[in-house]
Amino acid sequence: MIGTSDSSQLRSAALIDPKALMSIRDLELRARVVVEGFWNGLHRSPHHGFSVEFTEYRQYTPGDDPRYVDWRVFARSDRYFIKKFQDETNLRCHMLFDQSRSMGYGSAGYSKAQYAATLAATLAYFLHSQGDATGLLTFDEAVREYLPARHRAGHLRQLMLALEKPPGGRSTNLADPTGRIAALVRKRGLIAYISDFLAPLDRLESGLMSLTACGHEVTVFQVLDPAELTLDFGQASLFEDMESARRVYIDPAAARPEYVSRIEAHCAAVRSICERLGIGHHRVSTEQPLELALFEFLKERLQRGRWSPAAARNRP
Amino acid sequence: MNFLAPFFLLGALAVAAPIVFHLIRRTTRERTTFSSVMFLPPSLPRLTRRSRLEHILLLVLRCLALGLLALGFARPFIRNAAPAPSGSAGSRRVVILVDASASMRRKGLWDAARARAAGILRSIGPGDEVSVYLFSRKAAPLVSLEQWNEAPAADRAALAISRLAATGPGWEGDNLGDALITAAEALADTEAGKKAPGPRQIFLISDLKAGSRLDSLQSYDWPKNIELRVESLKAANPTNAGLQLVADPPDADRQAVPSIRVRVSNAADSAREQFRVGWGRSPGGDFMGAPIDVYVPPGQSRVVAVPVLPDPAGMRQIVLRGDDEDFDNTAYVVPPVKRRWSVLYFGADAAGDSHGPLFFLQRALPDDSRLAVKAVEFAPSASVPPAELQEAKLYFVTDPLAPETALALRAQMLAGKTVVFAPRSALAAGTLGRLLAIEGAALEDAQPRDYAMFGEIDFQHPLFAPFADPHYSDFTKIHIWKYRRLNAGAIPAARVLAKFDGGDPAIVEIPVGGGRLLALLTGWNPDDSQLAVSSKFVPLVYSLLDLAGGLSEQATQYQVGDAIPLSPAAGVSEGTTVARPDGSTIALPAGATSFGGALQPGIYLLNTGPRSFRIGVNVAASESRTEPLPPDVLERYGAPGPRNPPDAALAARRQVSLRGEEAEGRQKLWRWLLGATLAALLIESALAGWTARRSGDTLPQEGTPT
Repeated sequence: MIGTSDSSQLRSAALIDPKALMSIRDLELRARVVVEGFWNGLHRSPHHGFSVEFTEYRQYTPGDDPRYVDWRVFARSDRYFIKKFQDETNLRCHMLFDQSRSMGYGSAGYSKAQYAATLAATLAYFLHSQGDATGLLTFDEAVREYLPARHRAGHLRQLMLALEKPPGGRSTNLADPTGRIAALVRKRGLIAYISDFLAPLDRLESGLMSLTACGHEVTVFQVLDPAELTLDFGQASLFEDMESARRVYIDPAAARPEYVSRIEAHCAAVRSICERLGIGHHRVSTEQPLELALFEFLKERLQRGRWSPAAARNRP
Repeated sequence: MNFLAPFFLLGALAVAAPIVFHLIRRTTRERTTFSSVMFLPPSLPRLTRRSRLEHILLLVLRCLALGLLALGFARPFIRNAAPAPSGSAGSRRVVILVDASASMRRKGLWDAARARAAGILRSIGPGDEVSVYLFSRKAAPLVSLEQWNEAPAADRAALAISRLAATGPGWEGDNLGDALITAAEALADTEAGKKAPGPRQIFLISDLKAGSRLDSLQSYDWPKNIELRVESLKAANPTNAGLQLVADPPDADRQAVPSIRVRVSNAADSAREQFRVGWGRSPGGDFMGAPIDVYVPPGQSRVVAVPVLPDPAGMRQIVLRGDDEDFDNTAYVVPPVKRRWSVLYFGADAAGDSHGPLFFLQRALPDDSRLAVKAVEFAPSASVPPAELQEAKLYFVTDPLAPETALALRAQMLAGKTVVFAPRSALAAGTLGRLLAIEGAALEDAQPRDYAMFGEIDFQHPLFAPFADPHYSDFTKIHIWKYRRLNAGAIPAARVLAKFDGGDPAIVEIPVGGGRLLALLTGWNPDDSQLAVSSKFVPLVYSLLDLAGGLSEQATQYQVGDAIPLSPAAGVSEGTTVARPDGSTIALPAGATSFGGALQPGIYLLNTGPRSFRIGVNVAASESRTEPLPPDVLERYGAPGPRNPPDAALAARRQVSLRGEEAEGRQKLWRWLLGATLAALLIESALAGWTARRSGDTLPQEGTPT
C-alpha cells in the first residue's frame, strides 16, 4: 500500500535529476528509467497473474448474457444473479499533449516540451506496462495528431514518435482538444491534460466540463519552467513571444513583482477551474524529478479509488 | 570642383541611415525569447547616462563610406584643369540640306527653313566644316565646302545665311532620296580627303511631304558613321489641293463635247473638300465661263473633264479655287491641234479603182484626232501648183511623169523631201533617170515563174525598223507576181533595203541632195503583189510617213525641270528662240536637241522662224501630295530615323556637359573615391568584427536568465 509513509519513502529514495534524465536522447528509454525506478521504490511484487475485481451482483433480466450468471448463487438461492466485474485492463487513457511553441521554452538546458514529453511517455509506459490502452492527442492552435487508445505491440513506439515532434503553431487553443477528445472517445476513460496553460482560459472550463460530463476522469498537469514563475532575468531586453513573435521591452527587475502576481493568479485560476470540476491539478516545475509527478498522479488515483497497488503489482 | 551627376550627391543623405541605425540598435540589441509575454507588463526603456551613440568610430567610418560613395557617383571633376577643346578633335562635318522644291512655296515654310538653317549655322563651331545644299530634283551646293573653308572663320555662317536669304524655293518636284545620297557622298568625299575624325552629320530641312521621292535610297547602303538629323517643317495651312493634266482617253476623238481632263487631288490632311475648277484668264485671275464645282475628300482625287472653249487662244490655263496654297493650282494647257497635211500621188489610176495603188494608199493613210494625212492625186502629166508641191512632204510616183514635174520633184528631194517611186511598168525608167538626174537608168519587167518573195531585208534601216522584231519580220507570206528589175549597182550611192528571193533589188534607197528617193520595184496593188492586202502594208506606209518627217511632232506638256527634247520636226536652227512665261527670251544654239531651262511653270513658246510651238510646263504632281511622310519612313529606307536636334541653348548646355564629361573621363576622380570607400569599408569591417568579438565575450547568452 502506498500511503504517506510511502511518499516519504519515495522522496527519500534516490530520485533521478531531470537534467541527467533529459540527457538521455531516447524518449522511451527515459520513460522506462522513470517507471522502473518508480517500481523499485515500490518494492516490486513477485506475484504474477491476471485479475479482475468483483464489484456487485445484479438481478438477472432477460437479455443479459447468461455467461455472467453466478450459478453458485443460483444453487444457493434459486435466483439468477449477474456478476459484475471492474475491467481494469480495459482502462483507456488519453493524453492531451500541448505542442505549442510556448512549450519550446526552457531555461534549464531542456525545454518544457521535452520534460512534458517525458512525463507523457512515462505515464504511457506505466499504463502500457499495466496492460492499459493509451491514446494521444497533440495540439497547438489546432489539433495536430490523434492516436486512438490501443494496447498492442508497436503502439507505444508510435506514441513516442508523436510526442517527440517539435513544437509549432502560433498560439495555444486549450478548449478545442477537449471538445475533440470528447467527440472521439465515447467510452469512459482517463484523460491526462499536459500543457503549460499559458493561454487565455476563457473556454477551458467549458471544455473540461464537457469531458467530465462524459464521465471521463481528468487529470491536469501544468508544466512550467522555473523562469516562467520567477522571471529571473538580468538586464532589460526585448522579450519576444515564442508564439506570436510579439516584442515587448521588459526590464525584469521592474516587471518581476507584477509578473509573478499575474502568473500566480493565472495558475490559481487554472487550479480553481479544476477544483470546481473535481479535476486533479498538478503544477509541475521542470526542475522537479518526474517520479514525483507520477507519484502525485497515482496518489490521486488511489484517493479516488480507481487504482490499487495490488493490481499494479499484478502487471505482466 | 564640379560634378557631372550632381543629383547623386543626394545619396549622401544616406549617412543619416547609420546614425539612425546606431540609435535604434540601442533598443533592439538585447533580445530574449520567452514562452509568452501575455503576463509581462511593458517597461519604459531605461535611460543610461552614457551618450546614446555607441561606437562613434564605426559610425564615422560608415558615414564616410556612404559619403565617399555618393561623391564618387556624382562623378566630380575639376573644370579649370580641363584644357580648351581643340578644334580638330571635335570638328564636325556637316551638310545642311535645304528643300527648295515647289511645295516649300507654301506659306511660312521657306522662312521657317531659313530660320532653322540659320540656327544650325550659328551653332557650328569654328573647327566644323559645313556645306549647304539646296535640293529639288537634284541637290546643288549653295555653299560648297571649299567656299566655306575659304571664307574667314567668323564670316562663314553669315555667308551661308546671306546666300540662303538671296535664294528661294523653286518650282521643281523634289527627289529627297537622291539629295540624301548626294549629301552622304559629299561627306564621304571629305572623309577621303582628310582623315581627321569627328562626327559627320546631315541636317535635312524639309517639309517631308508624302510626295517626296525616296526610292533611290532603297538601293543605297547608308554609311554607318553619318548621322541624319531631320528638321521637319510644318505648314501653317494643311489644306492643299493640286491640279494636274491627265492624258486623253483612247476614245477622246469620239467625245461629243471635246474636253481637257484634269485631276484634282486633295492632300490627306486637308481641312477643305469643296473646290472649283475652270479655265482662268491668268494664273491668279478670274474664271472664263462657269467653273465646275468639285468635291474631293482629303486624301482622294477626282478627274474632271473641263470642256474646251470655243476660242482656242484663251485656253492657256485651268485653275483651281478654294485651296489655301496656290502654288499647284494652275495647270498650263496647250490644247492639241489636229494637224493636216497631204501626200501627192502621181499616177494614172483612179481613186475608186480597186486594182490601182491609190485605192489602197488612201485607205492606209492616218486620219485621227491628232493627224489627218490626205492623198492628193495628180495625173502624171498634170502640172502641180508649186504651193501644193512645197507643202507636201511625201510624193508617190507610179507612172511616167512629165519632165517638168519630175524636175520639180527632184527639186523637192534636193530640199530634203522623200519621193517613193513605185513604177507599175518598166516604161517609167525615163522618169527615174530624170528624178535621179542620171543617164541610162534602165528598168526591166520581170515575171517570176510562180511568184517572187521578199528575201533579204535590211531591218536596220528606219523603214523596216518597226519590223525588226522576229514576231513581225516574216515577209514570206507576201507573194509577188511581177516586179521591175533595176541595176542598183549602176546608180551611185544606191542602198538596197530589200531584195527579192531571186536576188534582184526590191527596195532601193537613193539619196538625192538632202532628201531621198525610195524605189519600190513592185507595186502594192493586187496586180503586182499581195503587199497591199498583207498586214505589213499600213505599218510600211506609216514608216514612209515617219521617214518623211510627217509623224513626229513636238510634245507639248512637260514638268518643271524636265529637259524638253526638241524633235526634228521642230526644225531647230540658228535663230530659234524660246520665250519664257515671264517674258524673257533665250536663243537656242543650232543643233540643240533639248531645252533644259524650263524652271518655272507656264506656257513656253518655241519659235523656229517658220513655225512656233507652245509647250505647257507644269508643277510635278508629286508636289501636291503635301501630307507629311510617316515618321519612320526614312528608317525603312535605310537612312537613320528622324531625330529632332536640340535647340541652341540645349546644344550649348550639351557642349558644356560634353566638355565636363571629357574632363571627368580624363581625371577619373571617382576611382580614387571608390578606393577610399573600399578602404573605409574594410577598416569598418575589421573594427566591427573586433568590437563584436569583444562584446560577444562579455554579453550573456540570449534568453537565459541570470
